[in-house]
Amino acid sequence: MATLTTRAPDRASRRTTVGTPARRGRRQTVTAYLFLAPTLLFFAVFLVLPLLFALLLAVSKWSGFSLGQITPIGFGNFASILGRGSTFLTPILTNTLLFAFGSVVIALLASLVLANCINRLRFQGFWRTLYFLPIVTTVVAVGNIWKVLYEPTGGLVNGLLNAIGLPSVSFLTNPNTALPSIVVVQAWTAVGSAILILTAGLKAIPESYYEAAELDGAGAWTMFWTMTLPMLRPTLLFVSITQFITALQSFALIIVMTGDGGPADATNVAGFEMYQQAFKYGDWGTASAMAFVLFLVILVITLAQLWFFRRKGEETS
Amino acid sequence: MRRRSLATLGFAAAGATALGGCGASASARGSGPVRLTLLSHYANAPLKPGLAKLIDEFNRTHRTVQVTAQGVNFDSLLETVTVRQAAGRGADIIQPYGLWAGQFAEAGVLVPAPKGIAEEIRAHYSKAAVGAATVDGTLYGYPTETQTYGLYYNKRLVPTPPSTWDELESAARKATKRDRHGNIVVQGFGVSKEQDSNVVHPFLSLLQSAGGHFLEPGGTHTAVDSAAARSVLDLECGLIRARVTDPGTDMAKAYPSGLVGMTINAGWWLGALPAMMGGSYKDVGTAPIPGPRDGARGSLAYGYFMGVNAQSRHQDAAWEFLTWLNRGKSRGARATRMGTFQYSVGTIPPRPADTDALTEGTKNANLATFAAALEYATPEPNINHGQQIKAVLQKNIEAAWTGQAAVPDALRTTAEQVDNLLAR
Repeated sequence: MATLTTRAPDRASRRTTVGTPARRGRRQTVTAYLFLAPTLLFFAVFLVLPLLFALLLAVSKWSGFSLGQITPIGFGNFASILGRGSTFLTPILTNTLLFAFGSVVIALLASLVLANCINRLRFQGFWRTLYFLPIVTTVVAVGNIWKVLYEPTGGLVNGLLNAIGLPSVSFLTNPNTALPSIVVVQAWTAVGSAILILTAGLKAIPESYYEAAELDGAGAWTMFWTMTLPMLRPTLLFVSITQFITALQSFALIIVMTGDGGPADATNVAGFEMYQQAFKYGDWGTASAMAFVLFLVILVITLAQLWFFRRKGEETS
Repeated sequence: MRRRSLATLGFAAAGATALGGCGASASARGSGPVRLTLLSHYANAPLKPGLAKLIDEFNRTHRTVQVTAQGVNFDSLLETVTVRQAAGRGADIIQPYGLWAGQFAEAGVLVPAPKGIAEEIRAHYSKAAVGAATVDGTLYGYPTETQTYGLYYNKRLVPTPPSTWDELESAARKATKRDRHGNIVVQGFGVSKEQDSNVVHPFLSLLQSAGGHFLEPGGTHTAVDSAAARSVLDLECGLIRARVTDPGTDMAKAYPSGLVGMTINAGWWLGALPAMMGGSYKDVGTAPIPGPRDGARGSLAYGYFMGVNAQSRHQDAAWEFLTWLNRGKSRGARATRMGTFQYSVGTIPPRPADTDALTEGTKNANLATFAAALEYATPEPNINHGQQIKAVLQKNIEAAWTGQAAVPDALRTTAEQVDNLLAR
């Protein structure tokens, strides 16, 4: 009896010692998922479901009026936007890449120079704020002000050209100058945030490196080229990737400055064409197919950027 | 079955929007009045208060049906209809642009007009007005306004309107003024790329004056790759190359400022110009759009109509209101309520009887140009993909204007792209 009474607690205690961690683990997992549930629900409703819906639309015909009218048509939408006679690849996707590449290159170079200058100036906060102002200004105001600056008659830019004896340029109505004109404005608006991030990157470079280099007789250019630039690479990677993705999707400035992506599609970009196809032409299938092609383009460009910077020995940390 | 399951998946995917329910509008429960909503582009004065006045009159005299107007800017109207329709929250009554009629008919957005109303409309409205509201022989609502195109000229800059293209070119060159830098200060003839209609509608008007057509009879193929179309684009490109016009100009500002000799626009502009020009309005003259030969003329007609949403739970009440608005007359009035309202804002009423009654004893030479054009204007084709076809034409015209494409190439590309859309 005594044996029995001593063995029973032993079995119970063994069950407890074996079962508790597993049960505790399960409980922890459940608790973790409960904590994650709001976020997962948010992603399911606002990311996964729209993504699946877009995928469905990309292989369907839908006018956007009634959900009951979605008709599957296979890959017809992809064939029509990538096929002969379509304007999606040329000029629309080409414009998108030129717009993104042009604005990112200009913004990156300008912000690199300006961030270096600001880093050597007094009142750095003031200068950073000054260059950041376009970011907090609405795109409608920015677009309209630049539109006035570009006016063929009475615009400041043409006034300056006229003052030095040059004829006026129809910046926004000439297909050869319309896209570059908007690229400049997009770059101008993007410089502020790039400066902010790059100055933070510059601050992270220890001053002692520069002092040592100076003692070794290195000039300003050598220090910039062999020290500043390599050590800024992770920051430059971050800025270029985020700005590229933003520019590839952006079209608000184009709507404000040229209204319809004209003249003759010269400023039409993929984001704007998608919007037009869906909301104006009632062709949601084509718009969704374009969205997936643009997604692939963004993915390829981002991977190419990562490869380029990693080749130089940088991680994305 | 497969289609049904996909539709179900679609419903699930857009569950958030579908939660709004599928009724067109909130209706009164129990013994309350039926509440109707009317969505139109009448979002600003004078159109918005003009319509509101009529609706107030209806609401005062009809206790069982109450109407609320919802106005959005024209540029947002199509998007608004689309989004609200998909969410099951479309207005009971919609006033679409005739160009969208094909798209709306294909998607089953509007119900066909009841037989009696359709017969009444066909009997008493102008052909152009009926055409704007008709798709494949089915009439979808009451035409509310019809616009035709004419030549606006500034009498100070162009004393006599041209009657041929040669005269137009000559008058345009004479009226043009440039500053010492070569910038155009006064344009002899104004073409503008501000909106698709500014590009496409004058082109189609001139095309008719040259004896051309945009579509083959039957509407299954385009006829735009023609000698007539080439002559129109040659005329416009010639004026641009001669620097008597700059397509980048906002004609809505330049013409009222007295900086444009001639331009082509719709009749509704007559309602807006007096307020913009003040005393200078006396310089405004209108004339038929000339053709290449003396006596030839051309114009385009487009319109709007009010139809009843297929999603509406109160379709009978909606037709009752539309009939009151478009057929009925206020006490002592010479014309229908809609006709009187449209005439008051400078628009030609879609019922010729209204126009006759309202213009009796008065002489409005400017308005007469547009009223006369109703008889010969070519209607804007309201086929499926109409809006996209218009954009294709606009882009290719702009390509020719800016020298990106030669005139024959621009027209050939237009024909290919439009035929592709028509074949879908």
